[in-house]
Amino acid sequence: MSLRRIAAVAERVLRQLRHDRRVLVFMLVLPAVAMILFGYSFSGDITGIRVAFVDGDDTDLTQTLRDHLRADSAFRLAELPVGQDPEQLLLEAGYQAVIRIPDKFTSLYYAHFAMGVATSAQGRIDLTLDESDPQIAATVQKGLADALMDLGEGGPVDVQVKDLYGVEVRFIDSFAPAIMGLVVALISTVLTLLSIVREKVDGTFARVWVSPVRRAEFILGYVVAFGAVALVQSLVVLSVGKLVFGILINGSIAWAFLCVILFAVGSVGLGTLLSALAQTESQAVVFFPLVIVPSVLLSGMMWPIQAIPPLLRPLSYLVPLTYSNRLLRAVMVKGLAPWQEPVGLAGLLGFVVLTIVAASLILRQRARGAE
Amino acid sequence: MTGPCESAFSARDVTKTFGAFRAVDGVSIDVPAGEIYGLVGPSGAGKTTLIRLFCGLAAATQGEARLLGHAMPGDRRAVEGRFGYMPQEKAVYRDLSVGENLLFFGQIYGMDRQCIARRTTEILSLMRLGDRVRQRADSLSGGERQRLSLACALLHEPDALLLDEPTIGLDPALRAQFWDHFHALSKGGRTILLSTHYLLEAERCRRVGLMQAGRFIAEGTPAELRSAAAGRVGRAVPDMEDVFLVLTASSEGAS
Repeated sequence: MSLRRIAAVAERVLRQLRHDRRVLVFMLVLPAVAMILFGYSFSGDITGIRVAFVDGDDTDLTQTLRDHLRADSAFRLAELPVGQDPEQLLLEAGYQAVIRIPDKFTSLYYAHFAMGVATSAQGRIDLTLDESDPQIAATVQKGLADALMDLGEGGPVDVQVKDLYGVEVRFIDSFAPAIMGLVVALISTVLTLLSIVREKVDGTFARVWVSPVRRAEFILGYVVAFGAVALVQSLVVLSVGKLVFGILINGSIAWAFLCVILFAVGSVGLGTLLSALAQTESQAVVFFPLVIVPSVLLSGMMWPIQAIPPLLRPLSYLVPLTYSNRLLRAVMVKGLAPWQEPVGLAGLLGFVVLTIVAASLILRQRARGAE
Repeated sequence: MTGPCESAFSARDVTKTFGAFRAVDGVSIDVPAGEIYGLVGPSGAGKTTLIRLFCGLAAATQGEARLLGHAMPGDRRAVEGRFGYMPQEKAVYRDLSVGENLLFFGQIYGMDRQCIARRTTEILSLMRLGDRVRQRADSLSGGERQRLSLACALLHEPDALLLDEPTIGLDPALRAQFWDHFHALSKGGRTILLSTHYLLEAERCRRVGLMQAGRFIAEGTPAELRSAAAGRVGRAVPDMEDVFLVLTASSEGAS
């Protein structure tokens, strides 16, 4: 293993990028355009949001409320005993909302109705929300309001919403991390794929294989080059996001960049893998939608995974961007460290290991002469 | 540099099959150091596959190909850096400049920048590309790109060279220049194994292997091949193309 040779491969790849003005423009303009175009998004019907229901009153009224919420397909309700910290339930147990009913809720609910506006006594419900996905947060609030409307005579109810992150999170705030991931995945996968296919077509691939360059050095050279590109692209996305849309960056930028680079590494591996299936550049182009379409539709980027039809939902967990989204949102919006989002981190690490090992095996086969 | 008694290229009954197709079929060859050996024959004769076997880009199905005394591709780590390879395609990075191409190939062969700069000047002057160092490879003419491809193979001053159709598509004057350079390298002790389907180029090789359908149908110096052809038809056969036709016909007759 020679650092000099890794640097040589990386330097050469970067030089090639610099020479290709179309690619250069593509690399720098795409993140900005994507951010602006997709900045105004939409959502679908959301189902299966994990909600914890903590009933400190336990009366017929609160049970009716629970039954209404349970009947709502938007929620997957779990009844939990009192005394648990709502924030912990959100951050560590994977719930997206905690509805807590304090004791005496029922008596206050009816008392207020009986006494009219003259009393300040009012039934109160505490709602603690993970607002990193505003669409989910809005669905929870709307679902709870609908359930309270159906309770019949009584009320009104004071729903005390607690923002987990201290500020209101807008759609665009949770969308920016997804755009960062998408742009990096797209550019790293597509450019690695095209670059390796071009090496095969032009015969430089064979020339490199008979040189002292090792497979690992070759892949690492690409990783270093596209890691650097990913970093620049992330900066562009964040700058446009901050300057044009004023996006919320609640967490550590350094962690976010590290996660983006990790994703770029896996994407280089994926591009190398796909290059084994293409003999010409035009064949390689066919793979682009394969990368883009599932990423946009299934990763939870445009709408929460809970809004994806249940039949397709398992496919979401085969899309690398799903894990990148979870991780980057946790880091950027929730302000967590990467290991505090274990599913996202494990998914991304798995993607990196799987693609890099497979890419290395593919290149070994190529080095043996693509027999 | 290869020792005086060491074969730069050797193979014993080497065969390479792709499915049922025998691309190289029981070929034996021995090329001593300093020699220019030409693999001559039509397209599909097995020349490129034989060169790829010596480079370690393919593994023999049977037999063994040895480069500078080492079995390929098994021992390829032992000889990497000691041989240069010029594929049939003009294998250079089209989107890099002439200088950047040489810089990359120099770097992966472990040369430092100073050494690369010195060799770049030398080799581009030799290839008459000295004024093209900043020009992108995709803006070069076909012949210029061919010369750049050869320069990339020669940059690290290898002991042995494997050149696959190095003169294809070149005009006669340029081809002559290439051959002058090959002879200069040979005089300097470098061994060259090259393929060509220009039968007239066989004359310029020290020895020639005439290939057809994966096999050697004749091997020897150009004079020996002419004499073999003359023996078959009972008259002198001065033209190498006729030599090939005579030897091919008699080979087909024999099989």
